[in-house]
Amino acid sequence: MPDWRRVKDRIFTVATVLLALLAVAPLFHILATVAIRGGSAILRGGVSFFTDPPAYPGSEELGGVGPALLGTLWLGLATSLIGVPLALLTAVYMVEYRESKLARATRVFTSSLLEVPTVLIGMLVFLVVVVPMGRYSLAAGSIALAIVMLPYTVSYVERALDGVPRTYREAGYSIGMTRAQVVFQVVMGIASRGVAAGVLVGVAKVLSETAPLLFTIGSARGSYPTGPQSLLEPGDALPLLIFQFAQTPYSNWQDLAWGSALLLTLIILVIFTLLRLLFREVKL
Amino acid sequence: MLKRLAALLLAVIASMALLSYAGQRWKPEVLDSVVLHGEGSSFLYPQVQAWSEDIRSSYPWLVINYNPTGSGAGQSAFIKNVVDFAGSDPPLTGEAWARLRGSVVQLPVVIGMVAVVYNVPGVEGLRLDAEVLALIYRGEVEYWDDEAIARLNPGIRLPNERIIVVHRSDSSGTTQVFTLYLHKAAPDLWPQELVGKSPDWPVDYTGRGIGGKGNQGVTELVKKNLYSIGYVEYSYAVKEGLSIALLENREGEYVAPSPEAAQEAAKNALSNLPSSPDGDWSSGFDAVIYAPGRGSYPLTTWSFLLFYKEYPGPKAEAVRTFIEWINTEGQKSVVGGYVPIPEELRSINLKAVEMIRVAER
Amino acid sequence: MSEAKFKLLVAPPAIVSSAILVLLFIVLLYYSLPALGEYGLGLLASPTWKPVEGALGEYGLLIPLAGTLVSAIIAVLLAMPLALASVVFTEEILPRGMPRWREAFVAMIDVMTGLPTIVYGLWGAAVLAPLLGDTLYRWLYEGLSFIPLFSCQPVTGNTILTAGILLAIMITPFIYVVVRESYRQIPRTYREAALSLGTTRYEYARIMMGMARPAILAGALIGFGRAAGETVAVALVVGNTFNMPSCLLAPSYTVSSLIANQFANAQLYPLMLNVLVSGGLILLLIGIASNILGIMYLRRVRYVA
Repeated sequence: MPDWRRVKDRIFTVATVLLALLAVAPLFHILATVAIRGGSAILRGGVSFFTDPPAYPGSEELGGVGPALLGTLWLGLATSLIGVPLALLTAVYMVEYRESKLARATRVFTSSLLEVPTVLIGMLVFLVVVVPMGRYSLAAGSIALAIVMLPYTVSYVERALDGVPRTYREAGYSIGMTRAQVVFQVVMGIASRGVAAGVLVGVAKVLSETAPLLFTIGSARGSYPTGPQSLLEPGDALPLLIFQFAQTPYSNWQDLAWGSALLLTLIILVIFTLLRLLFREVKL
Repeated sequence: MLKRLAALLLAVIASMALLSYAGQRWKPEVLDSVVLHGEGSSFLYPQVQAWSEDIRSSYPWLVINYNPTGSGAGQSAFIKNVVDFAGSDPPLTGEAWARLRGSVVQLPVVIGMVAVVYNVPGVEGLRLDAEVLALIYRGEVEYWDDEAIARLNPGIRLPNERIIVVHRSDSSGTTQVFTLYLHKAAPDLWPQELVGKSPDWPVDYTGRGIGGKGNQGVTELVKKNLYSIGYVEYSYAVKEGLSIALLENREGEYVAPSPEAAQEAAKNALSNLPSSPDGDWSSGFDAVIYAPGRGSYPLTTWSFLLFYKEYPGPKAEAVRTFIEWINTEGQKSVVGGYVPIPEELRSINLKAVEMIRVAER
Repeated sequence: MSEAKFKLLVAPPAIVSSAILVLLFIVLLYYSLPALGEYGLGLLASPTWKPVEGALGEYGLLIPLAGTLVSAIIAVLLAMPLALASVVFTEEILPRGMPRWREAFVAMIDVMTGLPTIVYGLWGAAVLAPLLGDTLYRWLYEGLSFIPLFSCQPVTGNTILTAGILLAIMITPFIYVVVRESYRQIPRTYREAALSLGTTRYEYARIMMGMARPAILAGALIGFGRAAGETVAVALVVGNTFNMPSCLLAPSYTVSSLIANQFANAQLYPLMLNVLVSGGLILLLIGIASNILGIMYLRRVRYVA
């Protein structure tokens, strides 16, 4: 007579392993497809894939994603300029004035922000920035992305600052340092890895977001941002280009979308690897 | 701390400089370029994008951006004066035009066609008129060998099979053109309420009507279902090798869609339209559908670009160049699926070039 | 820098950060009110979507709301077994002598949480949807069409079910992380007690999962919130058609994909913008409610442990 408990156990183990493998299987298929289709597009385009604007829809030529790539980099930079200081100072407040009502409220509000669908943030910025300004702009996109970045970076940095042992602060105070000096020189110094990780996570999130850009930057696919003043002009970004080109029937535009997807994936993987080096376990 | 801040600031400035350098280096001409931002019709998007790419070889300093958010978004941005030009399938309404009176020009820049396609083995060159089509989409003509169809197609053996009627399931300009044609040519059978981007199809209540998403979806449905009928943008019908019906035009001829037949329709539509780009074109969308004239194809449509008459500084020159180029060289690089506009229309459009001025401060 | 100045430096950013959510809520509410006033409850209960240019159209959000709920529920139902199996796999099956494999598996899950949603969407539209349309959906229709859910003939792979499946793939890693964190917090003494009963791996895992039940619920809720709010990936595969999702093999709409497709174009249609914003407000409420409930369940885990 078979031992039912053992048989059940066997079935359970096999099913568990299969389901777990099934959970990560799509990752390999996605990465392989992106690498093959994106890789061949980039190889075909060569250097011009990174520098040129998209070619004629449906033509034999491919063109490139130069404006979108530059736009994504500008967005990353401008977003960090707004988002990082805001997130860092917010986190400092939350740790330093832990018991105050504002700190508690901030903790609740920023962590809830994490669960707000990002398309709504695009909607908000459209209504309160784009409409009054009268035009789409990279700056509006940066504001939207900074809001997306905020809760991620705040929660990381808060945890990092929180983890700094009391003794360091006390040592700081005992040699007559002010609170500002203790926070910015001692605590931040010790927690610098965590702070860096928080910034990196935020940047990774921001570079890969599409929905906040839909109604904010205006997919200006032909013009290159040539300096900070271009932030006030409409622009383009890789995720937005992928979204719009994926919906067209033109095969050369589809190829550009795949090439951009590969670029974006590589950027994210590089940030991810950096994070793994800083921190052993990462939650994106 | 200060040192760190300084280092950070330096890094930011350095990366900005690097990015700016890259932008200027990749396209050296961008430094003295003039950028025109447009927004609107997604039907026009591939064509405008193609033009923006092509015009670069003649005028490297002219950069055209176009955001495909839809005709509604384009018109509203244009009315609010936040774009340099707009793309729209229907022209401005008479009311909107009256408010902007004299300050805008509207140019039909490309023509499109809708083809009625069907999947009946052995039947080629099917002839249909608006009345029969209306009856089919009302669900009242149920079989392919119905007297109404047979009458128009003497000598063709039609099968005794039920007609599967395919329409668009999403809100679409193609549907609007199709239903407007039915209404104009057979107003008794196809009332005004059934005209629109997603009307309430009577045939759906008979269980023989099905909806497909986009031109692609309708094409697939027609290919997959024997004895079906549908309507798609012309380029899809050709690309997928579907059988295309001949439609009766205003003169009583049965015409197949072709670039010439579409240009004929556009040419003849002009007789009832303003002879200048700054006139009221609000009836233009209607006029080109079921247009009069021998050889004109009834399911023809066109899309408009909207410009202002005054622009600040170098933009005026850029707009002039753009309009002139679109109506000359640009008509040679029309993307597959669109049809170039006829000579007559180009010369009307070119009048706009003289109307664009530099805004006085 | 004095204490007061320091506070003056860090308090305003904290205020700004908390104000964003409040501002979001107020702005969405403000723009929703005209639509609520005009259509009342019909806004939620009516399946009609009839835009009229330059005149008041008829708008009801019933279909996209149903689409959002159906796709998110499918996603959670499919993702749950995958996520739980992955937890048991990494916590109970793999560690026995294979720490490297475990680390690799965890790294893969982490990459999945970080992969841009647009990349999932592109893959979903170009690979997953056609594949499912040609295989699974045909089989479901041919074999199971007596079940109403599978009773419509699939036309393309862009269906509400595809949206659910793609979302399941995307939220599995999130649920996994939530459940695993709590699973690890189950005290050693409980584990030893369970083991001392001479349980098999199956029985042991069942006991452990029972203890982590609040975390599993929390994971499901948080996953549901994510799935309901996801925009671009869904917009690329759901078919974007006003069609009640009563049959899973047909295209439909979700609130977020409706917003993505129509928001910029809404301005010429009176009140359409306001209707879309009310849809956004509902999404906001769903997102925050599932998050708050999820956190409440998570607290309970800590309490038990």
